[in-house]
Amino acid sequence: MRILLVEDDRLLGDGLQAGLAQAGFAVDWLRDGEAAVAALSTESFAAVVLDLGLPKRDGLSVLQWLRGRHDPTPVLILTARDQLEDKVRGLDLGADDYVLKPFDLDEITARLRALVRRAHGRPEPLLTLGEIELNPAARTVTRAGVAVELTPREFDLLHLLLQNAERVLTRRTLEEQLYSWNDAVDSNALEVHIHHLRRKLGNALIRTVRGVGYRASAAPPA
Amino acid sequence: MSETHTYSLRRRLVWLLTSAVAAIWLLSVAVVYQRAHHEADELLDNQLTQVGETLLAIVAGGEVEDFIEELQEHAHRDPVPIAFEVSRSKKGVSRRLVTSPGHAGFETTVATGFSEHLHQGQRWRFYATQDEDAEYRVVVGQSHAARERLAREIGLSLLLPAMLALPLMALAVWWVVGRALRPVDAVARQVGALDAQALAPLDDADRLPNEIAPLRTALNALIRRVRDAFDNERRFTADASHELRTPLAALKVQAQVALRAQADDSRQHALAQVIAGVDRMTHLVEQLLTLARVDPARQDIAPQPFDPAALIAEVCEELLPQAQRQGQSLTVDAAAGCTIAILPAWLQIALRNLVDNALRYAGDGARIEVRLAPAGRGCTLSVADDGPGVARELRERLTARFVRGETDAEGCGLGLSIAARVATLSHARLELGDGLPRADGGRGFTATLHFSNAPGQA
Repeated sequence: MRILLVEDDRLLGDGLQAGLAQAGFAVDWLRDGEAAVAALSTESFAAVVLDLGLPKRDGLSVLQWLRGRHDPTPVLILTARDQLEDKVRGLDLGADDYVLKPFDLDEITARLRALVRRAHGRPEPLLTLGEIELNPAARTVTRAGVAVELTPREFDLLHLLLQNAERVLTRRTLEEQLYSWNDAVDSNALEVHIHHLRRKLGNALIRTVRGVGYRASAAPPA
Repeated sequence: MSETHTYSLRRRLVWLLTSAVAAIWLLSVAVVYQRAHHEADELLDNQLTQVGETLLAIVAGGEVEDFIEELQEHAHRDPVPIAFEVSRSKKGVSRRLVTSPGHAGFETTVATGFSEHLHQGQRWRFYATQDEDAEYRVVVGQSHAARERLAREIGLSLLLPAMLALPLMALAVWWVVGRALRPVDAVARQVGALDAQALAPLDDADRLPNEIAPLRTALNALIRRVRDAFDNERRFTADASHELRTPLAALKVQAQVALRAQADDSRQHALAQVIAGVDRMTHLVEQLLTLARVDPARQDIAPQPFDPAALIAEVCEELLPQAQRQGQSLTVDAAAGCTIAILPAWLQIALRNLVDNALRYAGDGARIEVRLAPAGRGCTLSVADDGPGVARELRERLTARFVRGETDAEGCGLGLSIAARVATLSHARLELGDGLPRADGGRGFTATLHFSNAPGQA
């Protein structure tokens, strides 16, 4: 899952980027509000982690701009201000969640997963399709109740496909959502991951839509 | 405040005013009594003279026998407060012709004219007169008590209304004072209702008498000062908590990342970041403590003027290694004979922060000049660099706490606040401006402390 992190503090940004990457997110880190607006206007992210005190453009103003263009991307606000009115204002402007510094890395990742899940209209934490069950928090996948070992990238790809089950995802969308800017992407890396997933989970799960992309769909009864 | 240290102004005023009026009244009664006594003396002396002379004239006219009878009779019917005695001397022998009833005659010999003697155990006033050939002699007398009675009556007639009037006046004073003190009560009530958490100046819409208005003005000035100090502290606490939370968050996240890192190099990186974070926190905490140490409570100690050249050299020497590490040049140019009145410890704090700022933000290879120079009646101490400088709009805000220029350099935004605070408390002025000329037309940055040695400035 690709996350946009907007945090001006170098030490905290660096740590969050590393920590979220450890938790399986692809993280793009920007250090000011204008850069965040530029990135959000051209690319799509599963969620935004937004600091409020940003140089050039304040976090609340970025949030306001984002909601002003009806972008539903979930936004989690990071702030050092514990005043209630700041919190209320952030939430009123369209923030989905609010975390006060200092925070626990596990809390941030759990909240991010919950935000993404809710953004896809699913209140339950597990993703299921046919006999495949994916647990985003534990990062585990089972097929007919049997655990399946996946690499982090394979897991993220499956996660994306299951989130958008029965819908076609273009190669570009998949790549954009999977890789952050600093990831070097091989031209056929996606095919390789799809191939591995099919081998581990069965060929019927992921269909290739010629010239468009891929679609996850429940396996037809045998 | 214990109850014993308070008293009622109203009661005191009533008491003071009433006693003062009573004293004045008593004094005037005493004066009136004196005057009345004197008047009574004159009046009664006239009476004595008149009676004496009349008696003498009648007696000397030869109608002694008839007159005496008539007089005796009259005196019996209608006693006169004046006693008399008529005597006749013939050939050296004196014989009493008549005395007023109840009198066996005066036992004392009375000289002609007015005189006073004891008579029947009392003080009497006598008037004695005689005809030309000293044949008939008349002595009239009157007890002093009569005069005193008269004077006392006049005095009492004045005193009585005063006895009645004083309690009435005390009541009136009580009422008037209460009424006059009502604005004081109102102010006291307003002060009593003040909320220490949300101090608001007293409502100055009410009209107050000239005597009390200054009290309210002074109170309001105090309230505003205290409120400003409160706000300042509150803002500072909020700012400080904000500034402390971010590095704490970074520390925690980096530590967690290190704990979970699978690869050695990412763990190393995270741990190095933890250490950098601790260094940054240390600097921030030190700066916060410095700010707290520059305490306005010490501004009352009038510092002695001194030549700061040695202190300046010392501070710069301390920071020289840092400058050298960053390839910066740090030079000091201290004019001789400049003295400034400031606590040396404070000057050290301010200068260290200004130089440290220059080292931090001027960039590698920058030139930094510390200069002490006489200016007018005082001296200026400036720290100038040829770094990127700060836009004029932003410059004004730089002395606010936690405000930083647009820079990537590490820092917590307190250095100039500390220098500004030292300047304010030392009656100096901190001025921020462009710095040393740069080859590429950059503006550089200068912080100048203006010290005035003008007399009358503490």
